[in-house]
Amino acid sequence: MERETGSRREAVRQAAALWVVRLDDPSCSAADRAAFEAWRDDSHEHEAAYEREAAAWARLERLRALRPGMERPDRDLLAERRPSVARTPWARGMAAAAAIALVVAGTMTFDGGAAYATAIGERRVVVLSDNSRIELNTDSKVVVRYRKGVREVKLIRGEAVFEAARDARPFVIKAAHAVMEADGSTEMAVRLRSDGAAVTVKRGAVDLDPAPTERKDDLRLTAGVTAIYSSAGSRSRAVSDSEIDRALAWRQGAIALNGQSLEQAVAEFNRYNRQQIRIADPSISGLRLAGYFQTTEPNSFVSAVTSAFPVRAAAGSDGAIRLTRRVVSEKTG
Amino acid sequence: MAQEDEDRRAWFRREILPLEPDLLAYARQFCRDGQTDPEDLVHETFARAIACKTWREIGNPGAFATRILRNCALDALRRRKVLTITAVADFDRIEPIDEAPTAQMMLESREELRLLAGAIAELPTQCRRVFTLRKVYSLSPEDIAVRLGLSVSTVEKHLVKGLRYCSDKLGRRIGRKSKVDEGRSWSARRDHDAKR
Repeated sequence: MERETGSRREAVRQAAALWVVRLDDPSCSAADRAAFEAWRDDSHEHEAAYEREAAAWARLERLRALRPGMERPDRDLLAERRPSVARTPWARGMAAAAAIALVVAGTMTFDGGAAYATAIGERRVVVLSDNSRIELNTDSKVVVRYRKGVREVKLIRGEAVFEAARDARPFVIKAAHAVMEADGSTEMAVRLRSDGAAVTVKRGAVDLDPAPTERKDDLRLTAGVTAIYSSAGSRSRAVSDSEIDRALAWRQGAIALNGQSLEQAVAEFNRYNRQQIRIADPSISGLRLAGYFQTTEPNSFVSAVTSAFPVRAAAGSDGAIRLTRRVVSEKTG
Repeated sequence: MAQEDEDRRAWFRREILPLEPDLLAYARQFCRDGQTDPEDLVHETFARAIACKTWREIGNPGAFATRILRNCALDALRRRKVLTITAVADFDRIEPIDEAPTAQMMLESREELRLLAGAIAELPTQCRRVFTLRKVYSLSPEDIAVRLGLSVSTVEKHLVKGLRYCSDKLGRRIGRKSKVDEGRSWSARRDHDAKR
């Protein structure tokens, strides 16, 4: 007898759920709505069951927050295990790029964490006890704190690529107030900005909480998505594999430009070199550049710029390379 | 009249529905002998609560709902043909919950999102895909049917199944104050009893 009540309850809830689904369908007709109201008027049991399923349906709207900024819907977005992303030629080339020094020992910090840092122009690969890898770009610093139950890494300065190894403990990255939790075997880059940071996921997925102190939804970032967060908010968008490879060209010791302005390109070179470049004439800062340069060779970049554009380079009084617009008379003379 | 009904339903949504996990935990205390399904008690409690035309006079919805639930449990006890001693003994010991549950136990958004995504991941493959396309990407059932090569009614069936799974999951989510062993759920025990 009790079993009967259970199945009766389920039948009512099923019927209620079907109405919720139908009424939310854009093609729902006036006749459907009338039929629904007749059904609901049958009993308070129907009425209450409908409210219950409708409330759950509305709460499920939150799932939209998980949608990455991709045009093409991924039906397996919420699958338990996502199929691994095909490795790009660039990723395969990474083995060759292991020419950079492997750093195993870091500096112990006062609170038990280990700090790893790079100087300007330097790159480092840190392999952690669980085989997770951190690749530090120029002028960067991380503090690694593996405690019971959690693997925590804090990006203090600059930029780094994190490759989380599979482990029972969560892999947590902190950067500029935000807290990120990477799935096992995630490969992602975090670059600090003047306010907030940029996060790019190359492989796997990460939950980004841009402001843990506020009651805001996490951002679920999957492979091929980049997000920028700051105190003003956060936004994410899809990026192509080649765009990710260009952003991470520094892992090969390169800067890959693809239509960036001269101003952006110069800022990029200045991250890697003590020999700074300055744009002394704002009228040239908007010139667009493309090409592949060694991070440590600002001079070859400058000569490429001066040969392709009406730009002149000269040594400034502060030792920096000054870029100015070249006037036509100079060219002929 | 229609507005009055809508106001009553809005009150039910706001004040009574969020109590479900606590009501369920409370209902389990009346069901220790395995003769009554706590989910049925909650289901009936909801039906009686939403019928209340004088909802505006209710100052403490938590106390109101637990009182209804207790009455539902009493009625279920009276309907029984055979009363076991333990059932009655248990019943007499159950005190009204000392602190009426409040609607403030809604999950924190982060935690809820995790719970919901986890629930979807547990669905069968096709059902999970349909649900993901509908709720994450907001595709219409027609679009989903075309995309996955299914009929619209099959898409509806998957959506109903997914919604039923999630609404029960949300309803069983234990409020922070309650301490009830979720592992000893009714269905598990009932299956166990059925095998005996």
